[in-house]
Amino acid sequence: MPTRQYATFEVAGQLFGVEVEAVQEVLSFGEYTAVPLSSPAVGGLFNLRGQVIAAVDLRVQLGLPRQALDGPVMNVILRGDDEPVSLLVDRIGEVIDLADSEFEPPPETLTGPTRELVLSTVKLQDRLMLAVDVARAMDTARVAA
Amino acid sequence: MDDLDDIIQEFLVESHENLDQLDRDLVSLEEEPQSPELISRIFRTIHTIKGTSGFLAFTNLEAVTHAGESLLSRLRDGTQPVTADTISTLLAMVDTVRSLLSAIENTGGEGATGIDSVVAMINRQMQPGAAEPATPEPATAMDPATPAPATPEPAVAAPVKAIRRKRAPARKAAAPAAAAAPAAPGAAAAPVAAAGAQPGGGRFEGRRPVGELLVEQGGALAADVADALQRQMEGDKRQLATILLDEGKTSPAAVAAALHAQGRRSVADSAIRVDVDLLDSLMNLVGELVLVRNQLMRSSTEAHDPALTRTTQRLNLITSELQEGIMKTRMQPIEQLWSKLPRVVRDLSQACGKQIRLAMEGKETELDRSLLEAVKDPLTHLVRNAVDHGVERPEERVGAGKDPQGTLTLRAYHEGGHVTVEVADDGSGIDVARVAQSAVDRGLVTAAQVGQMSPREIMMLVFQPGFSTAREVTNVSGRGVGMDVVKTNIERIGGAVDVNSEPGAGTTWRLTIPLTLAIIQALTVECAGERYVIPQVAVHELVYIDGKSTRIEYASDAPVYRLRGKLLPLVRLDQMFGLTGERRDEGVYMVVLQADARRFGMIVDRVLNTEEVVVKALNARFKDIGLYAGATILGDGKVALILDVASLARRSRLAAASSDRTRSSDAGQAAAAATSVQRLLVTGVGDRRVAIPLDTVTRLEEFERARIEHAGSRQVVQYREEILPLVRLADLLGALPDEPGDTVPVVVYSERGRSAGLMVDKIVDIVEETATVRTDLHEDGFAGTAVIQQRVTELLDMRRAILAADPNFYAEIPDEHLVEA
Repeated sequence: MPTRQYATFEVAGQLFGVEVEAVQEVLSFGEYTAVPLSSPAVGGLFNLRGQVIAAVDLRVQLGLPRQALDGPVMNVILRGDDEPVSLLVDRIGEVIDLADSEFEPPPETLTGPTRELVLSTVKLQDRLMLAVDVARAMDTARVAA
Repeated sequence: MDDLDDIIQEFLVESHENLDQLDRDLVSLEEEPQSPELISRIFRTIHTIKGTSGFLAFTNLEAVTHAGESLLSRLRDGTQPVTADTISTLLAMVDTVRSLLSAIENTGGEGATGIDSVVAMINRQMQPGAAEPATPEPATAMDPATPAPATPEPAVAAPVKAIRRKRAPARKAAAPAAAAAPAAPGAAAAPVAAAGAQPGGGRFEGRRPVGELLVEQGGALAADVADALQRQMEGDKRQLATILLDEGKTSPAAVAAALHAQGRRSVADSAIRVDVDLLDSLMNLVGELVLVRNQLMRSSTEAHDPALTRTTQRLNLITSELQEGIMKTRMQPIEQLWSKLPRVVRDLSQACGKQIRLAMEGKETELDRSLLEAVKDPLTHLVRNAVDHGVERPEERVGAGKDPQGTLTLRAYHEGGHVTVEVADDGSGIDVARVAQSAVDRGLVTAAQVGQMSPREIMMLVFQPGFSTAREVTNVSGRGVGMDVVKTNIERIGGAVDVNSEPGAGTTWRLTIPLTLAIIQALTVECAGERYVIPQVAVHELVYIDGKSTRIEYASDAPVYRLRGKLLPLVRLDQMFGLTGERRDEGVYMVVLQADARRFGMIVDRVLNTEEVVVKALNARFKDIGLYAGATILGDGKVALILDVASLARRSRLAAASSDRTRSSDAGQAAAAATSVQRLLVTGVGDRRVAIPLDTVTRLEEFERARIEHAGSRQVVQYREEILPLVRLADLLGALPDEPGDTVPVVVYSERGRSAGLMVDKIVDIVEETATVRTDLHEDGFAGTAVIQQRVTELLDMRRAILAADPNFYAEIPDEHLVEA
C-alpha cells in the first residue's frame, strides 16, 4: 500500500498537514518586519540565514484574526517555486505516514476560507487532519489588502 | 594600431579556447565518426579562424586552415569517411595552428613556422586513395594520441620588425600581478638561442627564453647569448643571464626588463572566461559577508574589547577589499559602450549637416556589466540628442564666433561610490524660455507655475513625459519620447539624471550611476518602531524639526516646510503606511528626497545611520505595492524594507504640478540674504574661505593637536568634562587642509545640551556683511557662496554641516552616542 509522509501542525486547535517533500525546514523565529500596505495575509519578513523570507499568516488565510508577532512563532518553511515561503503556525506536530486510502474529500459542511485551502481530510486515531493545498496557502493575493 | 592590436588579442584568446575544444571534438569524432554535429562544429571553428586570419593577413594560418576546411568539408559531405588517419591529420593541423598563434602572440607575426608538411599531409588525405579505410598509411607515422611530432618548430628567426609590444595582459588589472612575479629565472632551462638554433618547448608554455628577449630588447648581442648558451651546454651551471652579467655583456636593468617581459603570462593563461552565474553567486556571498561584517562591527563597538575591535577592523578592511575585488571581476570599461558612438556621431552629424568632433575622457572607467547594459540606450539617446539639438550648424557656429566644428565630449569618472557619465556639447545650450513655453503649450505646467520656477527647474522639465522642444520632428529625435525614457531607465538602476546648460556655451547631461546594483549606500531611518532604508542617492539633506526654528507648517491640510525660502511638500511616512494617527510636529526628522525631478520632505521619527546595504530582491507578491525597491538585512540581522523614493513621491500624490507650484525661485534666497545684515565668522580652510553665521557659534577654542583622540573613526577631544566630537571642515569641503600646526582652532557649536566642534585651519576675521549669496550650492552643509572682503567665501550652514558629518547628532540617544560620536 503506497504511503505518503505528512508534516503536521496546528493552527487554532485544528491539525493540518502538508506533504513532507514540500517542507524545507521548520523553525521558531521571533523577529518579523512588517510590510506596510501588503496583504494582511503577510505576517512579515524575516532573515533566514541571509535570505529574506516572507511569512504568510495562516490564521489570516483561514479567515481568522492575525497572529500576534510579538514573540517567537513557529514557521513551516515551504519550498516555493522560486524562493522559500514560510507559513506561520501555532504548533508543530509529528511527521506521519498516511496510506492513500486514508484520504477522504473534505466534508461538505466545511465552507469558507478553510475549505479553499483544504485538499482532503484524514481520519487519524483520535482527531482529524486537514491536508493543505500548499500553493493556495502561500498565495497571499487571495486576501485583499 | 591599437585597435588592430585589440582585435588580434581577442582573436588569440578566442582561438586558444577554440583549439582546446577542437582537440576534444576531434577525439570524440574518432569515437563517433558518424556524428554530423561534431563535424559541423569542427568545421565552423576552423572556418572562423580561417576567416579572421584572412582578415588579419596571416597568410600561413589562412592556408593551413583552408586546407583543413577542405578536408573537413569532404568529411561533412560524406565524400570520404572519418578514419584515424584523418583525425591525426586534423590534430596535426590544430597543432600547427596553435604554434602559428603562439608565434603571432609572441612576435606579432607568423614567423617562419613551416606549414608545408601539414598542408601536404592534408592534401594526401584528400587523395582518393586515402579515403580507403583500409589504407594503413604508415608513412605518416601518425599516432592519434601523440600528434605532436608533426608540430613544426616555432621559428624565432624572423621576428617581425614592428613587434606589437602591447600584450593582452597589460590591458587587464591582472598584469601588474603577473609581472610582479617574474618567472623563476629559468633561462637556463630552455636554452634556446636567439638565433633560433633549436626548436623549443618553451614557446608552448607561453614563456620565452630570456636570451631571446634580451636580444630582442637590445639588452645583449645575439652572438654573446649564443656564446653563453654554448657554455651552458658545456656544463656551466650558471644561469644564462648570470653568465652574461658576469661577463659584462648585459646590464642588470636589461635582464630585469627581459624577466619582466618573460613573466607576463600568455594571453590564454592570463585571461579566462568565467560563468557570469558564478560571479553572481560570489557577489551574493560577498554581500552576505558585508552583512556579517556590519553585524560584527556593531557588536564589537558594544563589547569595548580592544583585541576584538582590532580584529574586526581588520575584517572590515579585508571585506571591503574582497568586495571591491569581486566587483571588479564584473567590471567592464565604459569604452565598450563608447566604441559604437563615433560611428553614430559621424553618421548623424552628416545627416544633420553638422561638423562634430567626438572626444572621450575616462574611457577606462569601469562599470558593472549589468549596469553597462542598462546605460547603453540612455547614453546613445543623449548622444543622438546632443548631435541633433545640441550642436549648431557650422554657419550658426561661425555666426556666434565659434569654431564651425562642434565638440561632443563623453566623460566618465568615479566619484564618491558612483560613476558619473557626462555627455557635453559646446552648442547653443538649452533655451530656457523655449522650454518653458513648450512645457506650457503641452500642458505640463501653467504659465503661472513657470514664473515661480528657477531656470534649473525649468530645464528639468525636459525629463517630463511628453516633452519635446524640437521645432520639427526629425528622424533622429524629437518625437516627444526620449528624455523621460532616459530618466526612467537610469532611475530604475538607482541612478540619477541631471542637466546643466549655459546659453551659448553648451549643455552637459550628467548620469550618476551606482557602481553596482547589489550593494548600495543607504540611509536607515526609523518610523513607527520599524526601520526603513532609503537609497542615499535620493537623499539630499536631513533636517531636524524642533518645532521652533525648524517647523512644519500647513497649507490648508498639507504639511510643508520652508527650506531656504522655498516650500517643500511633506510626506509623513507613518501616515502613508497607515501606521499611526498621531501627528508629531516636533522632535522628528525631515529627509529631503528627490525623485522624478521633484523634491519633497519625508517625516520620520529618527535618522539612524548611513551604511552600505546589500539589496535583496523582494518576492513578486510585494511588487504590486510599488513602494519597495527591495529588502535588506541590517547589522542586527533584522530585515528592513528599502523604500522606492520615486514610487513614494507618486503614491503620495505629489503631482508634478503641485510640487512645482510650491517651489519658489532660487532668487528668493539671494534676495533674502541681500537684505539681511549678519555677522559672520570667516575661517580659512586650506586655500578656501568659509563664513559661519556668528549667531550659531557658541565659542572659539584652540586645542593642542596632541589632545585630540580617536574614538572609532571619529576624532574627539575632552572638553569641559565632556567628550566633544570634532568635525574637520576640510573633509566637508573636500579641501586639502594646511600643514597641521601644534594647535588647531575649533568652532564650538551647541544645541540642546550637546556640542560639536568644527576644526578649521585658521580664524580669519569677524565681519559684518551684507552678504549677497551668489549661487545656491547643493553641497551638504553649505548655503551658498558670497563675496566677502573681495574673496569668494562659502557660507556654512552650521546645522547641516554637523548633520552632514554626523547624521546622528540630533538623535536623542546621548549615551551610546557620545561614544560613537
